[in-house]
Amino acid sequence: MTKPDAYPVTPPNERESYPAPSKPPPLAVYIHVPWCVRKCPYCDFNSHPQRGALPERAFVAALAEDLAHEAALVSGRTVTSIFFGGGTPSLLSPDAIAAILQHVRATLSVAANAEVTLEANPGATEIAALSAWRDAGVNRVSIGVQSLDPVGLAELGRIHDAPTAERTVAAALEVFPRVNADLIYGWPGQTPQGAEAEVMRLLALGVAHVSAYELTIEPNTPFAAAPPAGLPDETRLGAIEAAVHAVLAGAGFSRYEVSAFAKPDHRARHNLNYWTFGDYLGIGPGAHGKISFPGSGILRTRKRAHPNDYLSAGQHRNRPDRVQGLDTSSVTNPYTAAAHWVQADALPFEFLMNALRLAEGVPRPLFTERTGLPFAAIADTWERLAARGWVVDDAARLACTPLGWRYLNTVLEAFLDPMVC
Amino acid sequence: MGLFSLVTMDHIRNFSIIAHIDHGKSTLADRLIQLCGGLQDREMQDRVLDSMDIERERGITIKAQTATLQYRAKDGKVYELNLIDTPGHVDFSYEVSRSLSACEGALLVVDASQGVEAQTVANCYLAIDLGVEVVPVLNKIDLPQAEPERVKEEIEEVIGIPASDAIAASAKNGIGIEAILEAVVARVPPPRGNPEAPTRALVIDSWFDNYVGVVMLVRVVDGRLARGDTIRLMATGAEHEIDKVGVFTPKGVERESLECGEVGFVIAGIKLLSEAKVGDTVTLAARPAAEPLPGFREIKPQVFAGLYPVESSEYDQLREALEKLKLNDAALQFEPETSQALGFGFRCGFLGLLHMEIVQERLEREFDQDLITTAPSVVYEVVTKKGEVLRVENPAKLPDPGQIEAIREPIIAATIFVPQDYVGPVLTLCNQKRGVQQDMRYHGRQVEVRFDLPLNEVVLDFFDKLKSVSRGYASLDYEFKDYRAADLVKLDILVNGERVDALSVIVHRSSAQQRGRELVVKLRQLIPRQMFDVPIQAAIGSHIIARETIKALRKNVLAKCYGGDITRKKKLLEKQKAGKKRMKQVGSVEIPQEAFLAVLRTDEG
Repeated sequence: MTKPDAYPVTPPNERESYPAPSKPPPLAVYIHVPWCVRKCPYCDFNSHPQRGALPERAFVAALAEDLAHEAALVSGRTVTSIFFGGGTPSLLSPDAIAAILQHVRATLSVAANAEVTLEANPGATEIAALSAWRDAGVNRVSIGVQSLDPVGLAELGRIHDAPTAERTVAAALEVFPRVNADLIYGWPGQTPQGAEAEVMRLLALGVAHVSAYELTIEPNTPFAAAPPAGLPDETRLGAIEAAVHAVLAGAGFSRYEVSAFAKPDHRARHNLNYWTFGDYLGIGPGAHGKISFPGSGILRTRKRAHPNDYLSAGQHRNRPDRVQGLDTSSVTNPYTAAAHWVQADALPFEFLMNALRLAEGVPRPLFTERTGLPFAAIADTWERLAARGWVVDDAARLACTPLGWRYLNTVLEAFLDPMVC
Repeated sequence: MGLFSLVTMDHIRNFSIIAHIDHGKSTLADRLIQLCGGLQDREMQDRVLDSMDIERERGITIKAQTATLQYRAKDGKVYELNLIDTPGHVDFSYEVSRSLSACEGALLVVDASQGVEAQTVANCYLAIDLGVEVVPVLNKIDLPQAEPERVKEEIEEVIGIPASDAIAASAKNGIGIEAILEAVVARVPPPRGNPEAPTRALVIDSWFDNYVGVVMLVRVVDGRLARGDTIRLMATGAEHEIDKVGVFTPKGVERESLECGEVGFVIAGIKLLSEAKVGDTVTLAARPAAEPLPGFREIKPQVFAGLYPVESSEYDQLREALEKLKLNDAALQFEPETSQALGFGFRCGFLGLLHMEIVQERLEREFDQDLITTAPSVVYEVVTKKGEVLRVENPAKLPDPGQIEAIREPIIAATIFVPQDYVGPVLTLCNQKRGVQQDMRYHGRQVEVRFDLPLNEVVLDFFDKLKSVSRGYASLDYEFKDYRAADLVKLDILVNGERVDALSVIVHRSSAQQRGRELVVKLRQLIPRQMFDVPIQAAIGSHIIARETIKALRKNVLAKCYGGDITRKKKLLEKQKAGKKRMKQVGSVEIPQEAFLAVLRTDEG
């Protein structure tokens, strides 16, 4: 059994305060499937190469148990979306997905119109499974296309080819009304013209949601250890990005979040819940959760990350390894590796780190509604940033200006420390 | 006081050790002390482990290598040997001269494999000039690479003293220690002085102790000093009553008096180090000496730099820290200074670059100060059209060129010792730095090169370059020579159109173009990209001589922030923000601390 990661433990004292919203926000469920056929060189998610058959039965049982523990924290609340992320959730059999969703519905109250998304890789097996996923209750799929250029797919270390990706997207659109395709731009050798052609081919298939991410070299990935040669320079990267955005805009997609593009009514509700600082249960290895308790505080949880550690957690029946903050007697989930209550000084940053990713931002009252803090907590900083032209000076909204949106890190830094400049 | 503590002067020997850093001075001092029973083995152990920390006994801070030793020589007599510590660096040559003038002898310790170094030579010449008997010691004699015969020749050649009877020793392994003590007894003359004359004692060193105030280490030249005497410091006129006198063994041991010829400490309730200056003469108020001892000099800082707190709110803490340092460092000067770029800070004066580094390091380590240091500058004499002579310590304060008749810069006489193989590059370097060659002599393998050099070229990057062109073999000593007129101009740096006063430097006109070019290139690399293009310009007056542009950062938003795990992204931003802590906002541009020292390192990277 691996030791859970250390979490900074600060003993509570009278100076600390844990704000809480007066009523709970919407609730989502995130389910993490930690296996992949092979790990991609750019990926820093909690994913592990699959070795032999997946321990599906044990995994479903563990998720169910994990879920049962979490349900105690959100009794009386209704789930508005469910998301299977990974890893590669499509490696699970449709039966396993059905069983997991059954457990969710049996344990929690799920809204009738809840969005249920499954991340899937392009592939023949996936195409064959599409209708079974639908029958299991999935109503949206997110396909890891990443590129439609053979060079791009090779550079990104993907195991599928472009025709398979196109076939998978097309087939998914026949089964599901809502389909997302993930794209990565900025890989070695990519040109603006090539990027434009890729997006056009993708849109020709009829998807109404695209997530277009700039390739980022994350720490602790193979790309960080040995950066790929030939990455585009700033000028070319800017041109590639402009080309991608232009094709999407021309096709009627709105860039509603930094990397998310959608036609009307196709925005990802599950992700919007993160960006509007809603609550979510994190089920599965390494999953993160956020749960608001009116009058008590906002709890962040993290599950045991390694699949083996997670799968064996139920046998130990022990308490989480590390819990920080207020009364945590309610946190008894043995699958939890760490939990802490969010302190007042961290909340503005955490809220805005999400909310300001949205092009339109959020209504100003949402800040108080979701954090329990008065707007006065950030008023001075907000005003200063507004004066620099980085955020909007609008009594009704919290949003970046187009300039501030491009330099969001700089904007957010202002909320990391109340003593800034 | 008992009779036996009255030591006649014939039994006293006052001596120092002259050695290059790393040539084993402190180890040798420890061995001498140990052999004379000054410290027990256990105490030796402590001393070796941490020489700073055993120095608290009876509330008196003890200097590392100053000790009064009782040595029974082979002639059967007991001698009082006073070992006097000397600082070992070019910046402190005045202190060295004061220590040496309190001695009748000096051990010249030379590494038997490495030979003579410039600093050692300079101090040795100083000793010879002061009439001090120099006893050569070849240390690390037991190392396989030791070449005692070659080094002996080198000593004779370079220093000009006989070295055939140099003592072979190994301080580390205790070889030759007794021979050294015997040589001190036999070859160092006993002190001379008049016990009946009005008291004159030389202040060899002084320092501030938190418990007792200023402690002076003195050498009594004439007369005596006793508890209860009222002393007068002849340079400052300050009068104080002696609370305590005594000697270091190296533990402080109190005595009733210090007699003519002896070395020991005096504590007299003095609160300010500036009242007990090194080199001053102590006399008695009741029967003052007519003339002080020769050689006292007010020490003047040679190198100046601006020290600014990174956080402007820490200005008061920085002032307190400087005040505390000043308690124990009479050479440190500082006065408040304001920079448009850096806010409120202090213009600090130092003896030299090492001194500056020591102060900076102590402020950062001991006082936990986050500092921005500007490039060091020297003191220029500016003759105005009206005929006034101004001393300018800060390039930003240079008057308008229209008002300047002439600028004079300090010139040093530099002595460099370098192995033959590297003479060429060293000469080239000195010429590049506007040096004027005065002399060149071959001493066997070593070459002695003498140059007159402008100090402002030396404070910028001369040491580093000298070391690099000689693979670390060249050694340097220098002393102030005079002020000379030169065609100097102020080179300004403009960041985003704004003049950054803290980046101004004074340079020779002939190198202004090149330096300006190097500086803007360096700054372009050091200043992080902003949300907009930032021009970096070098200018003389209103004339732009070089320009670079820092291209705007395209964006800095994270592509992905998903799945509810905010912790990693938060840590990333926190790290980025912490990196900006040591930056200064100048106009709308954030300039990192290193940029202010960029002038020092224009041709790296």
